[in-house]
Amino acid sequence: MNNRVVETDILIIGGGPAGLAVAIHFADLIKQHNQAVEAGTESGAKLPAKIVLLEKGNAIGNHILSGAVVNPSSLRELLPDILEKDFPFETPVLKNDINFFTKNKAFALPFHPPQMCNKGNYIAILAKVVRWLAEIATKKGVQIFTGFSAHELLFEKGQVVGVRTGVSGVDKHGKPMANYQPPTEVRARITILAEGTRGHLTKTLISKLDLAQDRNPQVYSLGVKEVWEVPEGAFEVGRVVHTLGFPLKFDQFGGSFIYGLSKNLVSIGLVVGLDYKDPTFDVHHAFQIFKKHPFVANILKNGKILRYGAKTLPEGGLFSVPQLYHENVMIVGDSASLLSMPSLKGVHLAVQSGMLAAKAAFTAIKKNDTSYNQLALYQKLFVKSAAYKELYGVRNFRQGFKKNFFIGMLHYATQLVTGGRGLTLSGKLTMEEDGKHYDPIAKRNGKTFLEEYKKELVFDKALTFDKETDIFYSGTQHDEEQPSHIVVPSLDLCHVCIEKYDAPCQRFCPAQVFEIAADAKTGKRGLTLHPSNCVHCKTCDIKDPFENVTWLTPYGGDGPEYENM
Amino acid sequence: MGLKIISLMKQVPVATEMRMGADGLMDRTKAKSIINVDCSFGLEQGLQIKRHVPDAELIVVSMGPPSFDQSLRKTISMGYDRAVLLSDRRLGGSDTFATGLALASLLKNVILPKDGGPYIIFAGRQTTDGDTAHVPSQVAENLGVPQATFVEAVEYHGTYLKVRRVIEGGQQTLKVPIPCIISVAPSSIPARRPSLVDAIRSRQIQIETFTLDQIGVTAEQVGLAGSPTIVAKAVTIERSRPPVTMLNGSKMEETASQLINLLENSSKQQVQAKNDEPAAGKPAAAEADQAVKQDKYPRVDFRNGSSGILTWIEVYGNVAASSSLEILNPARKLAKELGTTVTSVVIGDNVDHLAKLVIAHGADEVVVVNSPRLKEYSILPFASVIAQVVKERRPEIALFAATTSGRELAPRLASRLRAGVTADCTILKIGEFVNKRLKSTFYPCLEAIRPTYGESKLATIIGFWCPQMATARPGTFKALTPDYNRQGKVSEFKPELSEPDFLVEILDTQRKESGGQGLLSAEFIVAGGRPCGAIDDFKLIKELVQALQAKGIKADWGASRQAVDHGYVPYVRQIGQSGKTVRPKVYLAVAISGAIQHVCGIKESGKIIAINSDPKAAIFNCTDYGIIADYMEVLPILIEKVKAGFTFGLKTADEKNLVKV
Repeated sequence: MNNRVVETDILIIGGGPAGLAVAIHFADLIKQHNQAVEAGTESGAKLPAKIVLLEKGNAIGNHILSGAVVNPSSLRELLPDILEKDFPFETPVLKNDINFFTKNKAFALPFHPPQMCNKGNYIAILAKVVRWLAEIATKKGVQIFTGFSAHELLFEKGQVVGVRTGVSGVDKHGKPMANYQPPTEVRARITILAEGTRGHLTKTLISKLDLAQDRNPQVYSLGVKEVWEVPEGAFEVGRVVHTLGFPLKFDQFGGSFIYGLSKNLVSIGLVVGLDYKDPTFDVHHAFQIFKKHPFVANILKNGKILRYGAKTLPEGGLFSVPQLYHENVMIVGDSASLLSMPSLKGVHLAVQSGMLAAKAAFTAIKKNDTSYNQLALYQKLFVKSAAYKELYGVRNFRQGFKKNFFIGMLHYATQLVTGGRGLTLSGKLTMEEDGKHYDPIAKRNGKTFLEEYKKELVFDKALTFDKETDIFYSGTQHDEEQPSHIVVPSLDLCHVCIEKYDAPCQRFCPAQVFEIAADAKTGKRGLTLHPSNCVHCKTCDIKDPFENVTWLTPYGGDGPEYENM
Repeated sequence: MGLKIISLMKQVPVATEMRMGADGLMDRTKAKSIINVDCSFGLEQGLQIKRHVPDAELIVVSMGPPSFDQSLRKTISMGYDRAVLLSDRRLGGSDTFATGLALASLLKNVILPKDGGPYIIFAGRQTTDGDTAHVPSQVAENLGVPQATFVEAVEYHGTYLKVRRVIEGGQQTLKVPIPCIISVAPSSIPARRPSLVDAIRSRQIQIETFTLDQIGVTAEQVGLAGSPTIVAKAVTIERSRPPVTMLNGSKMEETASQLINLLENSSKQQVQAKNDEPAAGKPAAAEADQAVKQDKYPRVDFRNGSSGILTWIEVYGNVAASSSLEILNPARKLAKELGTTVTSVVIGDNVDHLAKLVIAHGADEVVVVNSPRLKEYSILPFASVIAQVVKERRPEIALFAATTSGRELAPRLASRLRAGVTADCTILKIGEFVNKRLKSTFYPCLEAIRPTYGESKLATIIGFWCPQMATARPGTFKALTPDYNRQGKVSEFKPELSEPDFLVEILDTQRKESGGQGLLSAEFIVAGGRPCGAIDDFKLIKELVQALQAKGIKADWGASRQAVDHGYVPYVRQIGQSGKTVRPKVYLAVAISGAIQHVCGIKESGKIIAINSDPKAAIFNCTDYGIIADYMEVLPILIEKVKAGFTFGLKTADEKNLVKV
């Protein structure tokens, strides 16, 4: 009981497509090797292969959220023995439109950028895909433990040697209570971070080991999404619609998606770049306004909401990809910023990076060498991969849109004909961190999102919902007896922020974790946290103007219950 | 020999699955399975003892299909050492009597120390799917060990446990010798989360699985054949709340009067409806249905000479409990239909004077048992006394109020008497049961009808082993108007008392509500939102509760998560999805906006009243009566009205017949 240390060869943090791809491919490589040794076609000894995967969600898929239109190429590669028709996708993409929205009208764009062509792709519920991958991994001997958060990295002599899980049974101040459960140390020869977007361990690792030197800072979008049950015929199965324009301004980057999952289910969401300037802008509210557009309201008429969720997307592109490895550790998937922005896809890149990391891990275990130089193989494999090639072609895409939509389109057009280089001399467009863009509230002179949409921001609880109702549909649950997993170190800074920016936290958070309320007695406005509303999107960790918010893991198993998002 | 700590655990479908059905209510049909909530509190108590006895062995024991594996392994990941599962298809259809027998046989034959070494068995208070709270008592009876139920705190003292149990309106401290069985209430320490190191171990251990043959139990002793009760039918309860009635008098005083009239009228109507209901009798449709069945199989009287109805009158502080007097109402109706009499047992020290009161409320005969040693209720001697009375009188039906005493006493007695028992009934009537296997129609059966599956279904349970036992939910039946001219027989019974029955010592009994626990049993709850904390620190809310308590109403107060998050109120009083789910007869929401999360925790309440100054507040969508106003104006008026006798349509202490004699 006292010895709360466990050991493994490979430790994977996160049960999404990237982490599961590492697990499956590594198990396959070990199996092939051991079979070859047995058959005598390979010299040397059989290799151990203890693979442990930790997932903070209560079940695999509970914290997964994606559109999702999936390019199946990487999954084909990962699972060569399984026919594509047996992949758990909902439907092939049958119809693909891009619309431009004005307030009341929709105009179909006559052309598709090449990255937005979805021929051969599928509409999927990503949670189903990862549950299926987890089953496959389990059959291959991977030990998956859900409901356990990797709270912190274990460092020894400056090197990563594993993780420590979070404790539970502590009060709001962190003091152990009667039902205290101490942490477990997991020591691993190789730790692979597959935490998804803005992983809190990845963030620590990158800053501690300076893995983002000379990179553009990572930038993000926030996507909010609802799944609706609609009357049959309201939206075709296999239809994909993306929209640009309303309710976003031309200086905002983003757009919406509407996917026909089945004859009754529609996946609908709005994705907005977090480099917006208006401190009163609210992605959740913008999404509600978007649903009132006649084009959308018509689809959702007589339907009902089933689920709500939100997640951030790392969209800095290739120039924001950190160094992917260090001694005993590798980073894969969204944690490594492997997402192609113009095509809005990252699942296939996550799987690819997972397979490459698995190859590097396998070679390292085989050579009994998990050193920095050995794991550099992962980066080398990546640079030669199709994933790299794809990201290289759009390496300046997101940066091009930092000013506004028109300049962005101009940049994009030139990038298309120059193989991604576009209108730069250096070949690299830069970006600043998302939290750095805010206009002070005074500077906006009342021209704010909240002012403009004052009238529209009334939620009828049929088509549009307030945040509190929406988060009910995320199924999120947190034990109330624990320290806040959203840490705001300086409340003094909050007062500065309230003055200067009118506290953007109360708007950027799509789950109403941050509330600014006036004290009944003094009338002074201050922050109250509702961490149990959190849906783990991590926008607060990204978009706070003073970097005064740090997102940590709550108790393992706490958080949203997305199931089919 | 080291201590063995055993926890009984059941896996159940998730009761509060967060899915909304088309009707806006929770849809439980797609529910996943989890460890029964109360069992998780029992599991934690086992782990707590282990802190004091580090070499104790922690064993989790369950009975069910192999799919229970998932929950058994979860208990290992919390820190249990071994997992034992009794799994046998022939157990299908077992009621609590057969379950108690099977579990006790499993424990005796393969788990408990053969050398008489010490052991403690923990169990949850009750399960969310069965809701009976029977099994811990029945296992205890089958093992012949003492027990304590509804326990919320346990202290380990080597040879005994000091436990605190919840009783009506208070708590009791008992000294229970080891070995014993403790059933744990959900107000105790919440279960710890799994640890990773133990989760890894849980994948490696072998679940020790046993079949009936390995524990010396035959197929006839369990399953349908070995169960004295069966579920004859279960119907889904349709719950719909009529649209809100908004009250808007020109003055606040007027609005309050409107509310008072509405509540008092609706409570009168309810009483009317209850009195009109044929407590003993069948709906016409069922009659026609059964006429067909009658043609098929001959009627069989299974009672084998048993006759009469027996009830137990619970006494505390020299007062007959109102709940015990209430059950004389259905008892009378059943007796009339059966053409038999009602006998009540009163046990205590010098309790002869209660006989007249009991007869006035409907008993034909009162059996009085007097002994200084029986002054205060304790399960073992009381079970022994009632068992002796039952053996002498051979009643066909025995009824108990479903109090914390009745709900442990009835099942323990049932196991001793080889009888069936139905928990927490709300309707009792006489019916018949067609047994296709035996090609006969049993008549007259006691149809014990009770809400189950978290009040979502109404189940009819029938037994044909005599006495047919049932506990009746307090407050469901209205006590008959006492008729002090009623004549009845009073007889004294001299029981044999044996020393082992006095092993459990009552150290202290307090009947006074303590913080927060009252929410789960309160008839009236007033809850406040954030403004109540910010404006008057819940002062008016507390005053209203006190005023109602002074009238003998079980009232308590709670708060919305907003109020708790802002630090005005401790978490134990939080009502809603992430706090407590409550079901009072009247729920008053004050300055609560009505977030869906809050509504989840209150929607099964009887009447819901909301006071909010915002006419668009969502709370009004799930409310019977709404008042658009500042609560600072309304509550003082309501408090005055309560002091003047208004009780929101609830029965006051006087009306409840808690008569001191």
